[in-house]
Amino acid sequence: MKITILELENVSHSYDKEMVLKKVSFSIEEASFFVLLGLNGAGKSTIFSLLTRLLNLQSGSIKINGYMIQNYSKALKDIGIVFQEPTLDLDLTVRQNLYYYGALKGLSFKETIASIKDELTNLDLDEKLDTKVQKLNGGHRRRVEIVRSLINKPKLLLLDEATVGLDLKSRFDILDYLRRKVQKGEISVLWITHLFDEVQESDSLAIIHKGEILATGTAESIIAEYKQADLTQTFRYVTRENPDA
Amino acid sequence: MRNYFYCAKGIIYKELLRFLKEKSRFFSALVRPLLWLFIFSAGFTSALGLAIIPPYESYITYETYIVPGLVGMILLFNGMQSSLTMIIDKEMGSMKILLTSYINRNFLLFCKMFATAIVSTIQAITFLIVAYFYGIELSITGVLLTIPIILFTSIILNAFALFISSVIKQLENFAAIMNFVIFPMFFLSSALYPLWKIKDSSLFLYTVCSFNPFTYIVESIRFTLYLKYDLSTFYIIFFYFIVALSLAFMGYKSKKVLKKS
Repeated sequence: MKITILELENVSHSYDKEMVLKKVSFSIEEASFFVLLGLNGAGKSTIFSLLTRLLNLQSGSIKINGYMIQNYSKALKDIGIVFQEPTLDLDLTVRQNLYYYGALKGLSFKETIASIKDELTNLDLDEKLDTKVQKLNGGHRRRVEIVRSLINKPKLLLLDEATVGLDLKSRFDILDYLRRKVQKGEISVLWITHLFDEVQESDSLAIIHKGEILATGTAESIIAEYKQADLTQTFRYVTRENPDA
Repeated sequence: MRNYFYCAKGIIYKELLRFLKEKSRFFSALVRPLLWLFIFSAGFTSALGLAIIPPYESYITYETYIVPGLVGMILLFNGMQSSLTMIIDKEMGSMKILLTSYINRNFLLFCKMFATAIVSTIQAITFLIVAYFYGIELSITGVLLTIPIILFTSIILNAFALFISSVIKQLENFAAIMNFVIFPMFFLSSALYPLWKIKDSSLFLYTVCSFNPFTYIVESIRFTLYLKYDLSTFYIIFFYFIVALSLAFMGYKSKKVLKKS
């Protein structure tokens, strides 16, 4: 039996009086690739901010690795985070950025590099360790952020629109790399996106719209359940919205 | 404890790296007080007569009087500079990296303030060395004893700056902070003229100066620099330390980190 690595139960959130999340519930099992799919303004980033403690939980419950989010020193210890916006210090080298993040995870400089030695090689970054981040292209910067999120060998990786602004090759290189890690059972991934072509039929999926989860299951099962030809049509059917508009 | 140690080390490491990479920041932070020392004080030295006031035991030149105030100026401007960096960090998103660590957020913020204080202290000591060679009478013991005071008071100013950065949503508002916080804080203090002189001119301004934490920061530096201490000043700056830290921590509580985007 698989262990539940992330569990949201009846999570609601409002900014002032505007309700942006309405009793959101879903869970992610270990070694699974879970996609949270929704249009802009659906509430995806609010969920991300709640999971990373950038926002306080107002109602419902969030459990990560068996710990309530309120117990953040344990709940957040084994997660990796990739934000939508760039978060690397452009004036520092890749190595210096990694050292800094490793330190925030409580690792020495030596332990930091040792913990991601394989990832650096796999993503062709070991040659760029002493390059200033501002000299890297967008794809490489994103790869550095992915490697950085894997410092401390997290059990769960949270990525918020991590491929926005990248070319097609870079996008799918990153996706393939993470999917391989999931298949090897090394990690679970919460992939937050509005891009339909990033979802595979075998992926676990939750469709979020206007703060509500409208469908959950594997992408394949959801398409079959609503008797639609593909995911885009299913999304249109479920949400009554045109994602291309 | 080991995690906390490495975390503190990493934050200080990054701040020092930034400091070393931004040499212009170092020189501009130094040029400002030196201009005041070389030019402003030269102009005012004959206009302002100073009575013998503690901690000084004899008549002093105006240049000598304003040195502690100019050290305070370095700390104040550097604190605000760090506040500016925080706003950029918030806009760029790198602040989120700091705040999503599993390590206690208040500890992380304190490390950030401490790291900035180290940079400020390096600048302040460099200024004191230049002032010494310019002819200001300073003792090595006085300068050495002032280092922890500079470090401590710098944390107070950094904490205020951190609080301000939590309130400001956009970088454009920083100019207003310069006009409404930094300049009043500096001019409404004992940095440039003794409080008794202000009292002679305006009792109201004197009262305002008496509540300004910057006054006590400057006075604590002044007294320590001349190997004197005033216990009541230390109590007051400790009080401001607690207030400033509480404000900074409250400013970065989870619900206040993000605004609705």
